[in-house]
Amino acid sequence: MPGSASYAILFLGTLLEALVVVCAIRRKVLRRYFVLNLYMILCLVVSWGRHYVLARDGFDSLNYRYFYFYTDALLTIVLYFSLISLYLSVFEEMKVGRYLRLGALALLAGTSWFTYAVVSQSSHKILTYFAFELSQNLYFVGLILTYVLWAAVLKMRQTPAILIQLVLSLGVYFSFFAACYALANLHPTLYSQISVLIPVVGCLLPLSWAYAFWRVPNEVRLSPARLAMAVSR
Amino acid sequence: MSRRHVVLLLPMLILVAAMGLKTAVTSNGTLIAAAPVMNGPDPAPKPWNGPDPAPKPWNGPDPAPKPW
Repeated sequence: MPGSASYAILFLGTLLEALVVVCAIRRKVLRRYFVLNLYMILCLVVSWGRHYVLARDGFDSLNYRYFYFYTDALLTIVLYFSLISLYLSVFEEMKVGRYLRLGALALLAGTSWFTYAVVSQSSHKILTYFAFELSQNLYFVGLILTYVLWAAVLKMRQTPAILIQLVLSLGVYFSFFAACYALANLHPTLYSQISVLIPVVGCLLPLSWAYAFWRVPNEVRLSPARLAMAVSR
Repeated sequence: MSRRHVVLLLPMLILVAAMGLKTAVTSNGTLIAAAPVMNGPDPAPKPWNGPDPAPKPWNGPDPAPKPW
């Protein structure tokens, strides 16, 4: 069973997820960043569900395992659409929303097909492994998409500061995941240490988003390319 | 190149890059799913590692043939 520290982190994370939604409502940006807030609301619901299953069946139970990984796949898909909504916001003025939506659906379909093709050859528990692998693959797709988006933001003249904050937090989040993934595969003995670190980072994303909604003014626009040049000098 | 072609080509490129990165990252791994999962702060259970249970070699009561 997880210790009291794990429960404290779980409670803190749930609180921060709620804080994101509260800040978005307070700053009246809930509709503008609806998918991001939907992700946080889903995280809240899933956290409650996981806590319920954990308390009822225990940490090592199959129920908790299945519930955890299936809900993780669901959350990853919503996170993917959150990222796409950031693309839509960044490229709003270029009027390419239709193409972005089509591309996003094509990418999701392609990732699902690739995952199925791999899983169907290597396992008899197709649905379970499919949910797990899809989640992993979408993380890597999300990582690449975030960096592509950041490159696009750097090329643009001006971008809302709040969008920059949201994109950068996602970049850090996905990069940390990729680093953990690499470390867990290079040194499987470190898995227990990494699994302790992951929930802490899970708290940082809602903290950063809550800060963005709470403190960063909506109308302020920045030119990240100039900032990058100033930093390099 | 038309926009439709770009819409089809870009997702393919991103998928190839993402799966290439994943393969590069996991190239030293020997486990099926030694990967952390991270949506939210909940404690993550260990993923299913190791081989799936082997299927039974024969079905029914027929005697198994002797190996050569």
